[in-house]
Amino acid sequence: MGQTGKAVHEVHRLEQLAARDQWVNRIHPLVKFFLTVGYLAVTVSFPAYDLAGTAGMAVYPLALLILADLSFRDTGKRLRLVLPFVLLIGLGNLFFDRNLVQIGGFTIRAGVVSMAVLFVKGTLCVLASYLLIATTSMEKLCYAFGILHFPKAVITQFLLTWRYLTLLLEEVNRMTDAYALRAPGQKGIRMKAWGSLAGQLLLRSMDRADGVYESMLLRGYRGDYAYIRETAPLRGRDAAWLLFWGALFVLFRRFPVLYLAGAGIGGLLS
Amino acid sequence: MSDLQIEVKNISFAYEKGREVLSGVSFTVAKGESVGLIGANGAGKSTLLKLLVGLNPGFSGEACLFGLPLEKQNLAEIRSRTGYVFQDSDSQLFLNTVYEDVAFAPRNYKMTEAETKERVLHALELTGIPHLSSRQIYKLSGGEKKLVSIATVLSMTPELILFDEPSIALDPKNRRNLIRILNSMDQTKVIASHDLDLILDTCGRTILLSDQTVVCDGRTEEILTDRGLLEAHGLELPLGLQRTAHRPE
Ligand SMILES: Nc1ncnc2c1ncn2[C@@H]1O[C@H](COP(=O)(O)OP(=O)(O)O)[C@@H](O)[C@H]1O
Ligand SMILES: [Mg+2]
Repeated sequence: MGQTGKAVHEVHRLEQLAARDQWVNRIHPLVKFFLTVGYLAVTVSFPAYDLAGTAGMAVYPLALLILADLSFRDTGKRLRLVLPFVLLIGLGNLFFDRNLVQIGGFTIRAGVVSMAVLFVKGTLCVLASYLLIATTSMEKLCYAFGILHFPKAVITQFLLTWRYLTLLLEEVNRMTDAYALRAPGQKGIRMKAWGSLAGQLLLRSMDRADGVYESMLLRGYRGDYAYIRETAPLRGRDAAWLLFWGALFVLFRRFPVLYLAGAGIGGLLS
Repeated sequence: MSDLQIEVKNISFAYEKGREVLSGVSFTVAKGESVGLIGANGAGKSTLLKLLVGLNPGFSGEACLFGLPLEKQNLAEIRSRTGYVFQDSDSQLFLNTVYEDVAFAPRNYKMTEAETKERVLHALELTGIPHLSSRQIYKLSGGEKKLVSIATVLSMTPELILFDEPSIALDPKNRRNLIRILNSMDQTKVIASHDLDLILDTCGRTILLSDQTVVCDGRTEEILTDRGLLEAHGLELPLGLQRTAHRPE
């Protein structure tokens, strides 16, 4: 399978994950959306040198990973693609932040700590966003946006773009496969062919998009998202889930929970 | 009120000015009929089917579906009573799972979830694929996708169904299954195809489209056994009839 084949597979795989009948997947999309936004805000708001506090926030994505029965390995593989960028953002701190700090009796450059904190924040935020998508289909997410009264046009645009992306990727895949079959032993695609391939791609994916749009129209589509239904209404369970994690986020933000837990265990042992 | 579901009178249509694809097409289809629409590649079969559901506006002539003139203000009703099975299943299907896609139409028509579910299950049963309900569409075979396409249309409970080349890209087993399902449906059907064997097995009446217009309209057995007529319009006798027709006098 070529690069694009993998990309197509990845998109479908994400949808497949989101479509599973897991406990976490069944939580109301609105709740998951709010929790993710809250999570991002809280995580980003940690002080620049609070490594332990920031790291404590890992509890939410870890819990989701386990509850949603998602593979750590696959998740790691997907994150690998974005992590270099996250690292890059933190790297500047090494040079610009030359203060010194004390950690556990050691004196180290503050830049190292703030870089690590940024790195952890970045990773956790990417992870939490990924987990939202992996447990909530794009349609359900848009259903939540609908409840929040996002403009109809924006939601529709969003949904169609998501569908279009899949079509586009599939066409890219088909064309690069066809090219590779007729150019055996050649790595990649020759410069000369790029122009015509790109043109072809545009035409073909537009054709496919036209077809899909016609099929939608003929099946009662009127430019809204009536076809997106949350089969489970907002229930007590969802509220409890929201309150539980909301409270935990606040707790972790206000108190050095990891430190206290460590001290508590230490106290018990001595 | 007659029980004509399609009435087309002297229809002409061109995608580009001056190059008519359909010219002076007239025919009617009565309730409950199964009509084959045959013609060589490029004869205008798909164009005609799309025109009937308002996807090719700007034609001249008269067209009525269910007694309603094919005009903008009637499109919503006409489309809600007409199913359209696309030639390319990948264009027809676009949601993630089979269930979601089959539920697309009932949900758009504001059915409750309970009604939607009932419709979906019934449609999957009619097409013999209840076991595919929660499968991801992109992982299905071509034959399975075709059946799902038909189910997405059946869940609308249409009175009339238009099929564009339904047997294309199906292997013999899937093709036989398709024929069985087509024959079990009691809706009015128009089946566009150059697979004449399929038409022979599913349609009592056949319309032959060639040179932008209807050249022949009559009983399937008569048209599909007329080798001279078929060959004059770029078609061949159905395989099922070739052996008998080749027999020396
Ligand atoms: N979107 C389009 N724009 C311009 N020409 C088209 C378009 N679609 C079809 N045609 C032309 O119209 C003619 C009839 O095509 P079509 O209806 O697809 O035939 P059939 O389905 O019988 O094979 C062909 O000559 C084709 O090239
Ligand atoms: Mg066609």
